[in-house]
Parts: sequence; structure tokens; C-alpha cells
Amino acid sequence: MSDELDRIRREMHSVLQPEGARPDDSLKITRRTFIHGSLLFGAATVSQAFAWWPLLNTLDIAHAAETPFKFAWISDTHLYPRSLNTRFVDKVVRAAQEVQAMDPPADFLIFGGDLAQLGKIEELELGVDLLKEVKIPKHYIPGEHDWYLDMGKKWGELFGQPNWTFDHKGVRFIGLDTVSRGPDYWTAKNMTPEERMGHMATLDGTVAGPWAGVGRDQLDWMEKTLADWDKQRPVVIFSHNPLYEYYPPWNFWVRDWREVHEVLKPYAKVTNIHGHVHQVLYNEIGTLRSIGMLATSWPWPYAPEGLPKLTKPMIRVDPGDPYDGVGWSKIDVAANDQLETEYIMWGRKEVFVQSPEDHDKHVSEVIRPRIADNMWPF
Amino acid sequence: MTTHSKIRCSLRRFGLVGGIAIAAVFAGPTSAHKDPVKQEQLKIYQEVFMEEVRKGDLLFHGDQKMAEQLGVADDLSKTGMACAMCHPMASDTHPQSFPKFQAQIAKFATLRDMINWCIEKPNQGVKIDPESEAMKALEAYITWSNTGSVLQPGKF
Ligand SMILES: [Fe+2]
Ligand SMILES: [Fe+2]
Repeated sequence: MSDELDRIRREMHSVLQPEGARPDDSLKITRRTFIHGSLLFGAATVSQAFAWWPLLNTLDIAHAAETPFKFAWISDTHLYPRSLNTRFVDKVVRAAQEVQAMDPPADFLIFGGDLAQLGKIEELELGVDLLKEVKIPKHYIPGEHDWYLDMGKKWGELFGQPNWTFDHKGVRFIGLDTVSRGPDYWTAKNMTPEERMGHMATLDGTVAGPWAGVGRDQLDWMEKTLADWDKQRPVVIFSHNPLYEYYPPWNFWVRDWREVHEVLKPYAKVTNIHGHVHQVLYNEIGTLRSIGMLATSWPWPYAPEGLPKLTKPMIRVDPGDPYDGVGWSKIDVAANDQLETEYIMWGRKEVFVQSPEDHDKHVSEVIRPRIADNMWPF
Repeated sequence: MTTHSKIRCSLRRFGLVGGIAIAAVFAGPTSAHKDPVKQEQLKIYQEVFMEEVRKGDLLFHGDQKMAEQLGVADDLSKTGMACAMCHPMASDTHPQSFPKFQAQIAKFATLRDMINWCIEKPNQGVKIDPESEAMKALEAYITWSNTGSVLQPGKF
């Protein structure tokens, strides 16, 4: 696995990262922590304000936009029916209230997939219901948990076409469907829809295989969608899965990421914002930068290998606090050419590791793939 | 090589009597009942272990049938969450770091203590018997999956 990853990374480097290629050279990435105004000029009690507005850690990314605006991101809510699990419901309620309370308000909300846990009608409808609290326009892309019970039927009824594009204040936004093109592992095994969904919902399962992909048809669509767009103007692409190879056994990738980069290569300012990984991630490949977002439901540990070197890892989480390691994100597109991502991590003042002991890989760990579901040799 | 020549050396030094005594030791007493380990035995031991690993893998991944079979279906989780949802491939379980002072429990704890804490807190389930087959199976899977990890007892 490691050798293969190494080989692929070298190949990726030589093909996509020619001498000196970086995402837009006016860009810089900095980290800063600032205290929200309500804390500095503390009305009410500090603890109240603190619970509502955590300290924010930000990534600053420069981009060209006509007028400044903000948008918000929520993903990976993994809702179960309310009767089974209220914790995940509570966290969506909180995220929705916080997005709605943004001042100045966000122009729109992106929902980045995995609204439901097991793709049930009841779960998807619960999500729609909870997000009604957010009154600004909402755009949805699907996650694998939303899709594989009825192959996207209910999701489509609720949200329409899974891939889409729109322009907003000088930025072209594209939503991709990276989940619906999984290989058919269910027909030959006569699986029920629930069994199919169960394998898909197991991150470290071996049955569903490399399901994450963009697909030739959607790549062509993306190429066409971008054809009339000035190559120097900003593009922001939303996807459930990261658009590079991080850790394929958990589908922390899309299998056709090379083709994705072929399509995006001519564009100087592309930012990919993705969910699925439930963790802070940052990577650059050629002129494309990728930012991984937090889930509201639960955090995943970093994968055993392949963590991009450019990622400043998020802090090791306290498993006893359901609000730790999770949250949502604000993205600021500023007039001074900045696109700024703020991780709103509820349980933390510091989102990023502060010492080696804060890193979840501080304890040296070598793990191996599971065996009990080995029914299909991929 | 070195060992071999040393033995020959000492045989010569002990002379005839010593030589006979050593030969007797090599042959063993007539009442001996222990045989060298056989490949078939090793295979069985390994199969027993891997069967527990397999059961633990299923429990860890929320398999309802296995939980019923081992009598813990009502205990392991009441939130729909399974262990593997936070610990894919049993990562971040760190069996190699136990026993240790476990901050969440605020006491010196074993892996089994921590498994029960996870069942009780994040999963909102009911603690299982630390000596039960279900617990041993979970322990088997977690440690098996972390086979390559280096022992670091006490590590935070
Ligand atoms: Fe997810
Ligand atoms: Fe996902």
C-alpha cells in the first residue's frame, strides 16, 4: 500500500506539479486565532458568549472577488431517526442556528453530503426539517450515506440534480456528485437495499470498494461548464470526497482524481471544499487547493498514511464530549482578494495541534484492514 | 556453530560418565508425556484466535446477529453508533498504550475498562462483563488490528 501510494505521489508530482507551480502565487495561507466581538466587549456572561461563539481558527486564502461575501458549510450530519439518536439532531440544530445567526448573514449555505446515516426517507426528511431554520439559499450535494438505500431516489426528489453550477459575485461555484458511481457489488450477491447501504455506510468496509469517483460524463460536464470561464478568475468546487488521493481504503479520494486535475489544470485559482473526511485537511496539487471540513456528527481519526504534508492537523479529540472535534465552517470571500475559511469547532479554543501530544498519531500506530466482511475480492 | 563446538568441548571435559549422563537427558525419562509442538496444533490455536478476531470485528462494526449470538445486543449501543464509526480499522484505540492513566475515566485503566467506557458514554449502552466472550472478542479484534504497533504502556 505504502509503496503504491509513494509511486502514485511521485507520478502526481511530476505530472501536476511542474517547477514552481503553486495555487495562484498571490495567495498565502496563514493561521490566526481571533476572539469574536461578543467576547471582547462581553455582554451577558462570558461563559454564555463562549458557548455560543467559540474562538475561531482561520485559514486565509486570497482570491479575486467583485464584492465581499460569506457563505457557510455544513456537512456529515449523519442523522438517525430522532427516536434513536438525539445527539446528532441537537448538533444540526445548533449548526443551523449559528449559520442563521451570522451577522452579516451568509449569502448561501452549502450542505456537503451525508445528511442521513442509512439513507432512510425519515432521516433525509428530518434533515430537511432541521435545516429549515436556515433561511438563506441552500445548495446540496450528496454523500454516500444519502444514496445507496434507494440509489438516490429520495435525495433527488428532495434536492434535484446532484451536480450543479452557479456564478456569484465573480466566483464560479460547482457542486459535484462523487458518490453515485460506485461499482455494482450488490446485484451478484443478491443484496437487499439495506445490506447494500450497510456496506456503503462502513468506512473501513472492504465490500463497497473504490466507490468514490466523478465519472467521465460528469468530467465532460465540468469541462463544458468551465469552458467560458476566464482562466484567471476564481472557481470553487464542492465535493463530498476529496479530489486527490489521501487514503483509498476509506475512499478519502476520488478514483479518477487524475482526470479531475486534467480538467482543472488550466484554471489558476481553484479551491475545492469537501466533506466526508470529518477532519481538518489542507492540500495543494498544482494550482488546486483543497480544504477538508468538519462533520457535525463525529470526527474521524487521521488515516494511517497519506496525510498531506501541508495539513496542519486538528487537535486530538476528547471522546467524552460529543461537541468536540466537530462543527461547521464559514467561508469569507473578501474584496481584498481573500477567501477565508473558519473552522467553527464547538469543543475547542484551539482547532489545531499545539504540541506533539495533541496529535492523534502521537501514539505510534500500525493497523490493518478488517477481515470479517471479506466476501468480495476487489 | 559456536554453540555446537562449545557442547563438544564440554563433553570432552566431562569424559565418559558425563557423556552418558547427557545422552540420558537427551532421551528423556520413560514417563515423559510432552511432545514437540506440531503444525496442526499451531493451526488450531491460530484458528481459535482468528475466530475470536472475526467475532470481535463484527461486534466492533455493529453486526446485530453477532451481538445477539454473544448476548450483548441490548448493551453495546443505544445510539445506533458502532465502535468502528469513530475507530475505522480499530485506529485510535491504542491497545498498545494500556494499562495507563485514562483521563476520561480518571483512573488507572485497562483496555477492557476503556471499551466499557466507550460502550457506556459515546454509545450510551450498558457495560458488559469484562470476562465475557464478547469482551474478549473485542479485545482480540482491537489488538489483532494493531498487530504492527509497538508496545507503549502508559502513553497518553
Ligand atoms: Fe460522513
Ligand atoms: Fe461520506
